[in-house]
Amino acid sequence: MEQLSPDPERQLQPAPQEPLGGPDAVLEAAAGEEAEGAGPQDSGGDAMAENNFWLKKIEISVSEAEKRTGRNAMNMQETYTAYLIETRSVEHADGQSVLTDSLWRRYSEFELLRNYLLVYYPHIVVPPLPEKRAEFVWHKLSADNMDPDFVERRRIGLENFLLRVASHPILCRDKIFYLFLTQEGNWKETVNETGFQLKADSRLKALNATFRVKNPDKRFTEIKHYSDELQSVISHLLRVRARVADRLYGVYKVHGNYGRVFSEWSAIEKEMGDGLQSAGHHMDVYASSIDDILEDEEHYADQLKEYLFYAEALRAVCRKHELMQYDLEMAAQDLASKKQQCEELATGTVRTFSLKGMTTKLFGQETPEQREARIKVLEEQINEGEQQLKSKNLEGREFVKNAWADIERFKDQKNRDLKEALISYAVMQISMCKKGIQVWTNAKECFSKM
Amino acid sequence: MAGGPPKALPSTGPHSLRDMPHPLAGSSSEEAMGGDSTPSPDLLMARSFGDKDLILPNGGTPAGTSSPASSSSLLNRLQLDDDADGETRDLFVTVDDPKKHVCTMETYITYRITTKSTRVEFDLPEYSVRRRYQDFDWLRNKLEESQPTHLIPPLPEKFVVKGVVDRFSEEFVETRRKALDKFLKRITDHPVLSFNEHFNVFLTAKDLNAYKKQGIALLTRVGESVKHVTGGYKLRSRPLEFAAIGDYLDTFALKLGTIDRIAQRIIKEEIEYLVELREYGPVYSTWSALEGELAEPLEGVSACIGNCSTALEELTEDMTEDFLPVLREYILYSDSMKSVLKKRDQVQAEYEAKLEAVALRKEERPKVPADVEKCQDRMECFNADLKADMERWQNNKRQDFRQLLMGLADKNIQYYEKCLMAWESIIPLLQEKQEAK
Repeated sequence: MEQLSPDPERQLQPAPQEPLGGPDAVLEAAAGEEAEGAGPQDSGGDAMAENNFWLKKIEISVSEAEKRTGRNAMNMQETYTAYLIETRSVEHADGQSVLTDSLWRRYSEFELLRNYLLVYYPHIVVPPLPEKRAEFVWHKLSADNMDPDFVERRRIGLENFLLRVASHPILCRDKIFYLFLTQEGNWKETVNETGFQLKADSRLKALNATFRVKNPDKRFTEIKHYSDELQSVISHLLRVRARVADRLYGVYKVHGNYGRVFSEWSAIEKEMGDGLQSAGHHMDVYASSIDDILEDEEHYADQLKEYLFYAEALRAVCRKHELMQYDLEMAAQDLASKKQQCEELATGTVRTFSLKGMTTKLFGQETPEQREARIKVLEEQINEGEQQLKSKNLEGREFVKNAWADIERFKDQKNRDLKEALISYAVMQISMCKKGIQVWTNAKECFSKM
Repeated sequence: MAGGPPKALPSTGPHSLRDMPHPLAGSSSEEAMGGDSTPSPDLLMARSFGDKDLILPNGGTPAGTSSPASSSSLLNRLQLDDDADGETRDLFVTVDDPKKHVCTMETYITYRITTKSTRVEFDLPEYSVRRRYQDFDWLRNKLEESQPTHLIPPLPEKFVVKGVVDRFSEEFVETRRKALDKFLKRITDHPVLSFNEHFNVFLTAKDLNAYKKQGIALLTRVGESVKHVTGGYKLRSRPLEFAAIGDYLDTFALKLGTIDRIAQRIIKEEIEYLVELREYGPVYSTWSALEGELAEPLEGVSACIGNCSTALEELTEDMTEDFLPVLREYILYSDSMKSVLKKRDQVQAEYEAKLEAVALRKEERPKVPADVEKCQDRMECFNADLKADMERWQNNKRQDFRQLLMGLADKNIQYYEKCLMAWESIIPLLQEKQEAK
């Protein structure tokens, strides 16, 4: 099976610098600096324009979402959401940004882009897309793909995806990615023309390899194990968090009933009336405060989800290694068996079972000429096999080197991002506590005036 | 206002009690009537608990045997009643030290009742006795019997219907102790009830059971007479005052019931939230075990959530033990008050009926028959007692609820403060730059 290396043809020159932070981040491309040892310059006039493009700061944003109706492949009417992707280049001098490209894409096109990246960059932990369908929903949150809140969170997720790709030192140079941002019509055809779907590994093959590989790099086995556990623990966390959110919602909302009954009660009281009435108002404020609080918390859930899906991408890299290793092992085994066959033919001893041996027994010995011919074929095959094995070995080692580098990069990114996520979660909790103290202090003061 | 009884005697009809002359009003107490600067005239119409020991300030004796005696000797003590600061208080009662008793027939809890008093009614300055719930129940029944014109404070519920509650658990016993303490303190604060003979015996007798068996009925005249009021008469018109009180109590009990349900619902939701939190925190620990650099931050978050869980548990316990019981007490209180109001209605109805009967007899005698006069006095005393108690009750209710609701707010504030502290303390941990592992 053909190994696809980081193909210079896929890449734009030159390579941009540091990874990005949050949304609306800026991609800085420094002229002449090569982060990853770029291959030979792309030929053609386009390259120059592309160079200039990447020399400036790039801002990518998914700024809008729009409901659309159209006809699908089966000529049936369907409703879908389209997202506006805007790319701006920022002049160094005055910091002004100029809109260079703007086009609409739907979710399925993002998927297409990602699937393409997965095939052509198997050694990279490819950033994940936001979830296709709403999961880990708590009851107030809609599971409907058309729900405006879901669409909004998806818009942010898609923007995040593009920024992640754009800030990856290797992925950002991909031509298809560039075209995704710049070429509205025809892009789908262009992607399909790469024939990437055909080059994808079959799942069955990958699974087979996982079970049968004998000597995978231990580090990858460990990482695969880690990614499984990470996926499991984050799933669990998200499920429980959704239940926690649900319950918290209930607690706050029931307090709203106090507001109503205090108001009714105050009507029959003389001195106590005012205090009760105003305390009731604070209970209403308390009850309604939970909506914003939980909306903010969804952002934290989204951050966790991204890494839940990242775990999948991490595992994909490990599986690719296993597949390549298995392939290598099979090739080596095949070569060894051919060598042995050749030796047997040459020396006349039959140690291994072969069909030829059987037929010889049944139909009589073959002629020396026939044997010579067979030896020759085998020797050719052995030669070829040795060449292949050599290149497979080389590819394998290249893969391991590059993949491990990206895995290290990913680890650092993950630690940074998740720490930030935890901090912002803690900050949210602190804010919620302070609001709670405020409301109850106000209520207490009203009660004291009863 | 419907038409009053026909050919009403001067002192009948739905007048405001303030305008009514005291049945026993003599020249000596007249100046105490009507003026707003003096304690409410109603307070002067306190009933005595017995004919003995009755000393009037002007040295007189109770006027006539047909009218219930008013003991103005209580005047001084009544004035003391308004002092909540305890400076002039002469009776202090406390309930504490619950103990479990295991006998062959049953197991039960007793509480220590400590009494300190300078009152002459007490032989010793200090008493300490042990009582169980059924003794309190007995006391309350006796008070209701002997002081039917007064509002008797409620007892905590006898049986716990919830099923799951352990009668001997620390929390239940403590909740009950507080309620029993409150019960006795309310009686102590009452200018009439606190002098009740049964109350005295309850606080002092070594062997209460022996006393109970004697069946001594130390009913007041009013008590005795009210006890025998037949219920067959229909009330013509309830005085505005009491109608208003009745309406108020109806709505009040309704609203409290709603608040009780809401509070229960909140506790239920909080407990369910707690259950989820208890699962949520440990997942961060599990995750922490997978990680290197993130291990400490994740473990920190796990511990933090654990602390918040504990704080929440404390909140729900407080709510269950301190908030709900007081609400329920007041609901019971208003129920028993409504019964007293009904009784008052009956007394008035009987009087009006008898009055009407007299009028219909077409006798020319201007003198009012004795038994009708007795009814009138009975009604008027009842009205006066009830009015006084209602005012006292309103004041206490206001204080009690102010305290209760401020306590509710406090508990919630404390909960949030504990959580705030937990989260603020891990921020530095999360922000710490970890050494490359």
